[in-house]
Amino acid sequence: MTTRPTRSASIPIGPRSSSSLSPSRNIESVISIPFAAPPRPRISNAQSIPRSNVDDHRVGVSYGTRGSSSTTIATSPPRPTARSMTLGNVSGRSSFRTPSTYEPRIVRAGGEGPRSVDAVCLPSTAPARSRRQSGASGRGTSTQRPISGFGAPSLHAPPPVSFPRPTYLDYSALRHMLQTDSPPALPPSRKTEPPSHESQVPSALTSSLTDSDEESNVSPPRELPSAPLPTLSQNKILRLPTRWSDQFRHALLSVSGDGRDLTYHGASCSGDRDAAAARTVHPIPAACGIYYYEVEIISKGQKGHISIGFAGRDVKLSRLPGWEINSWGYHGDDGCSFAAEKTGTRYGPTFGTGDIIGCGIDFTSHRAFFTKNGTLLGPVFDNIGKDIDIYPSIGLRHAGEAVRVNFGHEPFKFDIDFYVLQKRNQIWSRILNTPLDSSLLKTCSIEQDNSAPMTKGPLSEAQTKDVINKLVLGYLEHHGYVKTVRAFQKQREVEMRPTQPVATLTSTSAEDTDVDMVAPPEECDTGDAVACDMERRTKIVKAVIAGDIDMAIAETKAHHLAVLEAEEGLMLLKLRCRKFVELILEAAELKKKMMRTVAGAAGTIPGSHDDGVIEEMDGMDVDDEVVVSSPHSATTNGFNNAAILVRGGRRRNSVSPSDGVIAYGQTLSNEYKNDARPEVKQIFKRTFAIVAWEDPLTAGGVVTEVVGHDAKVALANELNRAILKSQGRPPSPLLETIYRQTAVCVSQLGLMGVGGATFADMEKEFLDA
Amino acid sequence: MPPKQTIRKEEWDRRLHEVQVTKDDLNRLIMDYLVIEGYKSAAEEFSQEADITPPVDFESIESRMNIREALQRGDIEDAITRVNDLNPEILDTNPALYFHLQQQKLIEYIRQGRIADALQFAQSELAPRGEESPEFLSELERTMALLAFESSATAPAGISELLSPGQRMKTAGEVNAAILESLSQGKEVKLVGLLKLLGWGEQLLEEKAEYPQMGV
Repeated sequence: MTTRPTRSASIPIGPRSSSSLSPSRNIESVISIPFAAPPRPRISNAQSIPRSNVDDHRVGVSYGTRGSSSTTIATSPPRPTARSMTLGNVSGRSSFRTPSTYEPRIVRAGGEGPRSVDAVCLPSTAPARSRRQSGASGRGTSTQRPISGFGAPSLHAPPPVSFPRPTYLDYSALRHMLQTDSPPALPPSRKTEPPSHESQVPSALTSSLTDSDEESNVSPPRELPSAPLPTLSQNKILRLPTRWSDQFRHALLSVSGDGRDLTYHGASCSGDRDAAAARTVHPIPAACGIYYYEVEIISKGQKGHISIGFAGRDVKLSRLPGWEINSWGYHGDDGCSFAAEKTGTRYGPTFGTGDIIGCGIDFTSHRAFFTKNGTLLGPVFDNIGKDIDIYPSIGLRHAGEAVRVNFGHEPFKFDIDFYVLQKRNQIWSRILNTPLDSSLLKTCSIEQDNSAPMTKGPLSEAQTKDVINKLVLGYLEHHGYVKTVRAFQKQREVEMRPTQPVATLTSTSAEDTDVDMVAPPEECDTGDAVACDMERRTKIVKAVIAGDIDMAIAETKAHHLAVLEAEEGLMLLKLRCRKFVELILEAAELKKKMMRTVAGAAGTIPGSHDDGVIEEMDGMDVDDEVVVSSPHSATTNGFNNAAILVRGGRRRNSVSPSDGVIAYGQTLSNEYKNDARPEVKQIFKRTFAIVAWEDPLTAGGVVTEVVGHDAKVALANELNRAILKSQGRPPSPLLETIYRQTAVCVSQLGLMGVGGATFADMEKEFLDA
Repeated sequence: MPPKQTIRKEEWDRRLHEVQVTKDDLNRLIMDYLVIEGYKSAAEEFSQEADITPPVDFESIESRMNIREALQRGDIEDAITRVNDLNPEILDTNPALYFHLQQQKLIEYIRQGRIADALQFAQSELAPRGEESPEFLSELERTMALLAFESSATAPAGISELLSPGQRMKTAGEVNAAILESLSQGKEVKLVGLLKLLGWGEQLLEEKAEYPQMGV
């Protein structure tokens, strides 16, 4: 992977960064979780080979056995045909009919093969299935591996009705992970979505793309090949229930082709023992916060003995939801709620033909709620869905009973959006009512009164203010907002002053005030040094952005020599390469001007630039010598581009009077020719590649990335961080660290379905204006 | 209970790295703070330096700040006048806020040693309100307790804190929030929300998993 040709070398992550997939790359960065587009069997691309390993790993989590497609085919001997059919579906349109491929549950125990074979052989007629199913219903966890849809319904099923994620789920901060089977929509574009230039950056160079510093390609290139690809939970796609399972349904129930209708066939159950139930393919992700679906009773049949609710994955399908442990149901015949009980608890009205029953689960309280024809019936059940996966589930008992489910296929009868919104707001205000804990002082390394040892407890107003001020000031200083810092500090001082008279009255407040009053001057004293330092830093950063690399180097040399010397002068090299880029740009600009003038004067169309270039070069016999003299022209490590550079420089030279460009490039490549570090080579490769273009700024792609303004900003930020680091200061502002920590914390909680964390939507609360 | 999960540092760091937040985002968080807390000139400088548009005009910051300064000087009367000048509805529709302002005024009397004025004011203005709500009453009692102690050094912390600058800040903060609300602006500093969420989240996650915490 390390020895790839120039252009692709900067795209080590492989297929994912190919242009067709770049949107999904972007999604990843927006939501931190890649969309995990089904890995396509793109064997022809050599790069996909290393990549597929990663897929194996990754997909193992979100897709079960799918993994690298080719491997899957090869390793499923029992039903090669079936498997490949499945895969055909995967690579084609969404494979609704083959739920097993999307079943997120992974094989829990071996020995699935025989079952699969059985399934193939099974006639789809009721009696046979019935035997099969009743056997199945009693089995343990280990044989739960779902089999592909080989029953008649699925084979003849029309394409599934796909639908977008229901809108009430937009209140979940983890909404981007929640997906129906429909093709993933493009990423939600937050207003502050990174500008387009970032999305074009090849993945390898975007390892730091999300840094607020927009620091790019700075991580040493040697890390690139092994750059960790997102794995595990980061790739989590949480499939929403979209249809009844063809496998996990009782044989007496038929599932319609679109997966929405359940109809009871055959003789009605008698007594209080038997029923026929079905559940969905996918469990309800706790990250929903609240999940809701509706069921229309198409026909209540003879008795309307219908149960609507939830069930764990292994609950017997021959029982109504609510009768068994790990199942919960609202029964239509008596309106009772059942939670693992024989006789129900009074809950709501009965329901029958034409009624629309809504069924919701609230993971923030682990309770359920039902609605009837759009009216909320109130909370019911406790501890539902705690520590187990649960599925929407329905049970029927009598001939003629039929229901049709709405998992979001169409608008809901009940205003679930509003309901969730209210819940969300409740959770959020609960969070905002959390008092700030004094541990924050430590986090922000604010020294406390020596007399009072670290006390656990809520922060006082003043302490809160201290913490925030520290964060703000640290942030401003980090980014070198000099004037803002000054104005801020000045106002802080003024703010402190009026408290002075208070000091005279009582000893306690005198102490308080003393502390307050002593602090600002101290801050100011150090503040001067800090301000001085900050100004210098800002000057350097601005010089880089302005393209005045010489000044940046000189200033850095004068005040932060260690930065330039670190890592054997890596930073210095980067700066000098930038200087080279600046020179090239300058020359290109001159040449453009010249061409215009020439074209204008001669009245000819400039025509193909290449021709012109060649002619120019041919006309200059020194060129060959220069090329030969380039010590690395024969190597493949990027220095062959140095030759082009030299030529190019010469060529431009013929047009522009500047000799500096070539000279600079030559010196640079000579000085570092013995530096074998891969990142150094990489830097040279990238830098010198730009001379192949007439106008690097508009060339697009990698070239423009290397020369563009954003690259300059990134370099400036990198230098800034390097300087801060050399001073023993953190490379990121504490504020940013805190933001990131909070985000990861909260999303982890959301995934685990804890405390309604999924309703703490940081983007919405903190970032959207 | 499932066993506590452990999230390794590398995994955690990687996720930290993947969090999508830009300098612009953070700049806006800073601006939000500067505006709400009334750092007018800092906000002005910041909008220049960081090239971001402030969410409000700077004048509105100023008038809010004048009110706050009055409160921090202890000139409650002036603050009340200014609030009413700005928008009389703010105090009319917010009895708790009005009570707290009056309470602050009482505190200032006591601070200045104007005991007679304090008593007079408490009887005429605060006592009737104390009857309206038990919450007001207990606040009134707490404030009046200040009179029982010779110096706040001898008073229990819960009472002496009324004389601290923090109490003025608290009242000022309340007024500030009410004004912001009347301008239909966010009143809660987002940074504070962020810190609260951090505290809330870390504590919850601590119960469920081992992971690298902040400041540890």
